[in-house]
Amino acid sequence: MTTRRGFIAALAAAAMAPRMGWAAVGNPAYLAAARDPDGTFALYGIDPAGETTFRVGLPARAHAGAAHPARAEAVVFARRPGLFALVLDCRTGAVLHRLSPPDGNHFNGHGCFAGSGDLLFTSEQLADTSEGRIGIWDVRAGYRRVGELRSGGIGPHEIRLMPDGGALIVANGGIATDPQDRRKLNIATMRPNLTCLNLTGELLDQVELPAELWKNSIRHLAVRPDGLVGFAMQWEGDPAEVPPLLGLYRRGSAPRLLEAPLAEALAMQGYAGSVAFSGDGREIAISSPKGGRVHRFAEEGDFQGAVRRMDVCGLAPREDGFLASDGLGGLIAIVQGRSEPLARQDCAWDNHVVVL
Amino acid sequence: MKHLIILAVTILCALPARAGVDDVLERHILPGLSRFAQAAERLDAAARADCRAAALREPFHAAFDAWLPVGDIRLGPSEQAALSIAFWPDPKGHGRRVLDRMIAGQDPVVHDPTAYATVSIAGRGLFALELLLFDPALSDHGADDFACALVRAVAGDLRAQAAGLETAWRVEFAPLLRNAGAPDNPVYLDEAEALRAIYTQILSSLEFTADQRIGRPLGSLDRPRSGRAEAWRSGRSLRNVLIATRGAHALATALADGPLPDSYAALARVEEAASRIVDPAFQDITDPQAWLRLEILQQRVRDLRAAIEAGIGSRLGLSAGFNSQDGD
Repeated sequence: MTTRRGFIAALAAAAMAPRMGWAAVGNPAYLAAARDPDGTFALYGIDPAGETTFRVGLPARAHAGAAHPARAEAVVFARRPGLFALVLDCRTGAVLHRLSPPDGNHFNGHGCFAGSGDLLFTSEQLADTSEGRIGIWDVRAGYRRVGELRSGGIGPHEIRLMPDGGALIVANGGIATDPQDRRKLNIATMRPNLTCLNLTGELLDQVELPAELWKNSIRHLAVRPDGLVGFAMQWEGDPAEVPPLLGLYRRGSAPRLLEAPLAEALAMQGYAGSVAFSGDGREIAISSPKGGRVHRFAEEGDFQGAVRRMDVCGLAPREDGFLASDGLGGLIAIVQGRSEPLARQDCAWDNHVVVL
Repeated sequence: MKHLIILAVTILCALPARAGVDDVLERHILPGLSRFAQAAERLDAAARADCRAAALREPFHAAFDAWLPVGDIRLGPSEQAALSIAFWPDPKGHGRRVLDRMIAGQDPVVHDPTAYATVSIAGRGLFALELLLFDPALSDHGADDFACALVRAVAGDLRAQAAGLETAWRVEFAPLLRNAGAPDNPVYLDEAEALRAIYTQILSSLEFTADQRIGRPLGSLDRPRSGRAEAWRSGRSLRNVLIATRGAHALATALADGPLPDSYAALARVEEAASRIVDPAFQDITDPQAWLRLEILQQRVRDLRAAIEAGIGSRLGLSAGFNSQDGD
């Protein structure tokens, strides 16, 4: 344990490497996975205007990914229950490494780099119990597994590095799933939380929602440079109820829940698929592919309006607004609350857009 | 009914195989909205003449009947309007609470025909009227009672909503669907997207009928929940299932570029299963036989959905949403 702590501290302290590697692949601003018209899957680089800068084929449908902060290298995670993640060289498309979780663990679709790209953290769960784990991988040693942390809950989904580089924020979704078919096993008793850990796994903070919202699975995260965390939820209770689907959290404080007016809230169908802060950090948005809309909120929490788009899911900061992607191949800029189609690719964009 | 279906098949087969967005708008959505607006106008006129419950039940049923063929469409202006016209399901009884509060406080909002639009959506529309016309505690009002003025306000607001919805479709949204792919169209980036938007409505309407209209009261065999049936107070639960299902099917035939024999047969099986239901308000499902008959109806609606999916989804190269069907 001491050895690992020293090792991680040393890596986290390493100097920030200059960001040059991505220039070789057209300086994409985003990464997103997609299904191509022939039914195959790929990872794309996307520039701020919505043009694709590179395409790398994938062997199966992906969920989310993580971009190395310096090298043109991306880790792409399989959909749950994930049995592999691929480290891709985005210049050549070569699979540099194929990561498998240790026996008895599954990847849960998300992960993040830390320590200037020398460490990779992966969201995982124990196959039997869905108890959450965070896998630790030594990037410089060729993505060698060097340990794991307890995530602080059941069924963690997205994890993010906090802006100080020394802590992880984990969305423990609370849902135990069948290891074979991801059937949900514990809806009646689920109890999600938001957990902040340092890189050696010490619990820094943990917050839960009030008991009437325990069926609101905390699944996706956005982090603003000042440490404000947005968390998006998916409701597993009665679909006729309209719980909030977005919350704001700052370490050491109770979470604050943001609500849309009733008719708009109903239209989200209890489901937020992605969350992002706007490029200027003054707004936060969630997407609902089921409801075909993006909801924007001011940083103070007031509802700002909806942007409608079929099957929209991926969300990322762009200029002072957002970039949204959808299952019809659309890349949409959200500018001052209006949607401006940027490009339409001949593919179906998958759930998430990763920011470089 | 069977004869009607056969007649419909014959008529449709005789039509030229022109398909798509125009047909859906001209043959189903716009005339449907227009019929609903007229029915809401008649209901409002009746309420202004006599706002007591007994006088309004018939025009209420007519308005509800006119709403259902287009009521499950959640596109464009209908997305929000559908919620304030038909706020259901309402498991926590929001509608009842809003009305009780207004009655207790003799809320002056009822005297201002336009201000009623600011009331909570749970206190507006067909389900608010259903409570005021059919709930024993709320419907027993005389002509001078506050509740009578409330009925007038809800009916007037419904008429305004129905007229506004029709106009919004004709003026704003139908052109967006028709001009899918035009450079200034921010909603539909090509014609296939417009087709898909309508196609999705058909499938989600049938899902809503199977999972909510039937599924909510069905609960489980050992725990049926008859109090959760849609519009049980006015005895319309089965009628709503049937009209909504026929509406979804009509939308599918308007969208299809050719006859859909399997879906006609599937609709006939829905009608047949519905004809076996004894209580149109689904209040008899504590009896296992009645529960099973309702479950069969649910299965038939799901079969119809599958038939439409196989019949037009594959033909038009449409599948359900890549992300909306995945979930994670």
